[in-house]
Amino acid sequence: MLAPMKYAAPATVEEARALLAADGGARVFAGATDLIPQIRAGRPEPSMMIDLKRIDRLSGIARAGSTWTIGAATPTADIVAHAGFAAEFPGLAEASGLIGSDQIQNRCTWGGNLVNASPAADTPPALIVNDAKAVIASAGGERTVAAAEVATGPGATCLGADEIIVEFTLASPPPRTADAYLRLIPRTEMDIAVVGAAARVTLAPDGAVTAAAVALGAVAPTVVRVPDAEAALIGGPLTDDALEAVAQAASAACRPIDDKRGTVAYRRRVAGVLARRAVAIAADRAAADQRGASS
Amino acid sequence: MSVGRSRARIDAAAKLTGEARFPADRAPAGALHAFAVFTNQPHARLVSLDLEPARAAPGVVAVLGSADVAVNEYGLTMFDQPVFVGLEHTGRSPVPCDVSRWEADHLALVVAESPGAARAAAAAIEAVWAPLPVLADIDEALASDVLIHPYDGRGSNRYCSYRIRKGDMARGWAEAAVTVASVYELPYQEHAYLQPEAALAYIDAEGRVTVEVAGQWAHEDREQIAHALDLDEERVRVVYPPIGGAFGGREDMSLQIVLALAALRLHEMGVDRPVAARWSREESIVGHHKRHRGRIEARWGAAADGRITAVSNTAWLDAGAYNYTSNKVLGNCHLGQAGPYEVPNAEIDSHAVYTNSTPGGAFRGFGAPQAAFAAETQVNKLAEALGMDPVEIRRINSLRDGSVGITQTPLPAGVTLPAVIDRCAAEAAAGPSEEAPDPSGDGNGGTAPDPSGDGNSNGTGAGAFSPFLSLPGSPGALRRGRGFACALKNVGFSFGFPERCEATIVLHGDGDEPDRAELYHAGAEVGQGAHTVFAQMAAEATGVAPERIEAFWSDTATSGDSGSASASRLTFMAGNAILGAAEEAEKAWIDGARPATGRFRFVPPPTEPFDLEDGRCTPNFAYGYVAQHVELTVDTETGHIRVDRVVSAHDVGRAVNPDLVVGQIEGGVVQGHGYALSEDLRSDGGRILNPRLSAYLIPGIGDIPARVDSVVMEMADPIGPWGARGMAEMPLIPYAAAVAAAVHDATGVWFDALPLTPDRVLAALEAAQSP
Repeated sequence: MLAPMKYAAPATVEEARALLAADGGARVFAGATDLIPQIRAGRPEPSMMIDLKRIDRLSGIARAGSTWTIGAATPTADIVAHAGFAAEFPGLAEASGLIGSDQIQNRCTWGGNLVNASPAADTPPALIVNDAKAVIASAGGERTVAAAEVATGPGATCLGADEIIVEFTLASPPPRTADAYLRLIPRTEMDIAVVGAAARVTLAPDGAVTAAAVALGAVAPTVVRVPDAEAALIGGPLTDDALEAVAQAASAACRPIDDKRGTVAYRRRVAGVLARRAVAIAADRAAADQRGASS
Repeated sequence: MSVGRSRARIDAAAKLTGEARFPADRAPAGALHAFAVFTNQPHARLVSLDLEPARAAPGVVAVLGSADVAVNEYGLTMFDQPVFVGLEHTGRSPVPCDVSRWEADHLALVVAESPGAARAAAAAIEAVWAPLPVLADIDEALASDVLIHPYDGRGSNRYCSYRIRKGDMARGWAEAAVTVASVYELPYQEHAYLQPEAALAYIDAEGRVTVEVAGQWAHEDREQIAHALDLDEERVRVVYPPIGGAFGGREDMSLQIVLALAALRLHEMGVDRPVAARWSREESIVGHHKRHRGRIEARWGAAADGRITAVSNTAWLDAGAYNYTSNKVLGNCHLGQAGPYEVPNAEIDSHAVYTNSTPGGAFRGFGAPQAAFAAETQVNKLAEALGMDPVEIRRINSLRDGSVGITQTPLPAGVTLPAVIDRCAAEAAAGPSEEAPDPSGDGNGGTAPDPSGDGNSNGTGAGAFSPFLSLPGSPGALRRGRGFACALKNVGFSFGFPERCEATIVLHGDGDEPDRAELYHAGAEVGQGAHTVFAQMAAEATGVAPERIEAFWSDTATSGDSGSASASRLTFMAGNAILGAAEEAEKAWIDGARPATGRFRFVPPPTEPFDLEDGRCTPNFAYGYVAQHVELTVDTETGHIRVDRVVSAHDVGRAVNPDLVVGQIEGGVVQGHGYALSEDLRSDGGRILNPRLSAYLIPGIGDIPARVDSVVMEMADPIGPWGARGMAEMPLIPYAAAVAAAVHDATGVWFDALPLTPDRVLAALEAAQSP
């Protein structure tokens, strides 16, 4: 018989890192909403499950000045319910509120969503358009990595064997800036994205787009930024032509696969639809944003 | 009155509190655990098999295989499947057992001290296979010289066929002003009941091999167990505890025979411990049959006045590796090929084909949904070709009292479809009777009536359509449409099968009138509310207060044969049996017997099988009727479909329990919604690719129609108890065709293949736009 799996609930990041470093078969977890199904589907059981939820620093939502800090093990339900955060990052809140179901959202976390490195994860595109940073505890202290750099391929990340994401930082968006996230699945919930699209738009008082970010999920091994879409938006008003250019660029940027959830052709087509709609929603929100309005 | 009232379900409290113990909850402390080992071979010959390594594994008590089965064969309507694939056997079955024809054929049953030990030991079984050609679908099976059941003497994988020849086809085509020809592709559907297969077996105090299991026909389960184990039926007992859904998926054997075998062999080894087993969801989806996939080629003609003049259909159903009930499902599908219409001229051929894929079998509707999708879509296309309203063409052609059916005999009296069609159309036109729910939650309303009334207007604005919580529609992308379809469905067993249902009632009391009654009935409570309805009917029939009915359910040791929970038959059949038993008991009471026992076996009017040449027969003794109207919205940029409103009108004869009738309508519509829109079971090379509910998408609460208006009509069936007809399958049958018609109304594109998943819808819309 195999040795029974061990469980540990360290109180500090250093303790957790020490446990991880001492046992090559150990895995950290927060919600375990990916880990447990993976084990049930036949992946090898970890020798030890290290629960990060008892570490104070890993849970919580705080704002200091213009910087938000979100613990990596904070349940996404808490993020969705945080009115102050959701007012500044409505798209990131939407992405957080689309994972699985209400029950799943009471357990799942940004940290887990990012390091599980599923190409179809919902929060990474929204984290990336908001230029979120991941703070990673390492042997030598801490390092900070852009959220966009964490996943390197399906199931693969830039984290070393004994590294743990501790928290995320986000700068408050400038005035007349907003994000949006849309996800396509065949049904309303409890499913994995066929395509996800995040957008963030900053408007000048005259309505011209001054900054834009577009990122797609589930259409490539990792999240895809769409610089051609961003370039098509920046410098002009949000016209139908500009939105059509966004759709074209998004479709062109996809490198999807055929699988049970959708064909290459379908993913390409709807990636453009979702990108265009996400940009339009983000721009509507940005136009309505009164924070720091000077005109 | 007890009949006609929405009494609370008698099993509600136990099921809500968790007191009800379903088959997987019943293993007592000290039970052994069994694991059924599938061959995982869609088509292969067994070269060698060594069970000894599993027998030597830790915690293993016994490993059973083909040599342990007295008569190594089973099947609900044909013995064509070995209980175990193996090399050793008693020689008492003509079915060769050295070939695996299906990935879920069984190789062994491992009995051990724990589920984990049983599963681990199974991995030690050593089997060597010689591959045989895998005939994965109908086309491959028809094209190949390889026979899946060569010993059956038929010489073809096409093993069951029926014909209908009626009227004069040349005349039918000559009278046709329009003709419509299409090929319909019908998908599998998985039952996806809440409770995967589970069972407990033991030797009871009377020495009977006893199996507690979820099934649909306790006496038939007993018969199949007794046959394979070569036991007298009285030495076998089948008990149904609470059942977590069935829908036809429990008509055939799962764990019944192998666990009964384990209890018997353990007993012979001197091990008198109960043995339990349960399938995982994946094992359940791989291990039980599906709604048949198939193909229907249809060419229909209609005269300028709307009369259907000719129907020429050929239907193919993929029976899979074993017959299960395919011969019966094919018969019902065959009967439905011409729809519920007066058709003067018809030539219809229907075939079942063995393949190495999952068996097709019983599933709510039993072949009728496939037939109805083709027939109703054909009628809708004829209406379009004639420029006629889809309701009007049905009024012109509908079967009615006195009609001669497609099998050239009159229908049983009480054909109410014309009234059901009219009522459905009237309710549809009247609009929602109360404030519609707002699925988008934005206060704009989700189901606003189409102001133009032409069924083709766009959405009512941003947010009015929110198919998916994540994905509000873009106003310019939305198209709305409406569709109509109708159907009939037989109530009770068809085609000469010996239909019957037994009930026993015992009246107690010290006074002039009985004040308490016992009811013994085997009819399966599969979640539909049958036991509540039986108790209501027993109270009504005896005059005893409903709370003074003490019922004993679904135990072959105490109840007579009820027939199955299938074919929308239990209310009709059990009600007549209960009426008869109450009458017998009352006679005994008047004669002074205390207690007074009445036993009754209800036998309905006889039916007949299809004539082999022209299909002439009296196929059924009763029918239920349904018409449906569907309103939906299509997002033409993503292919998503949102059903905004369904009107489902039914003649149920008499609603014994109106709330339960509405529950069946809503449940049937939801199950039909999955069949029409999202449920996509993938199979390749004889293997199911997505045997889990994360990848096989049944509708969730956010996906189902925003509104279902259930219309319950009560036009008595002449021979139904209190006039009741069956109704449980009917809501599913026309739904897919009504959806396809509404999508066509919205987009101008016909869909002849199901399910209408977003990717398929978008691909077809884009193809239609391409020059």
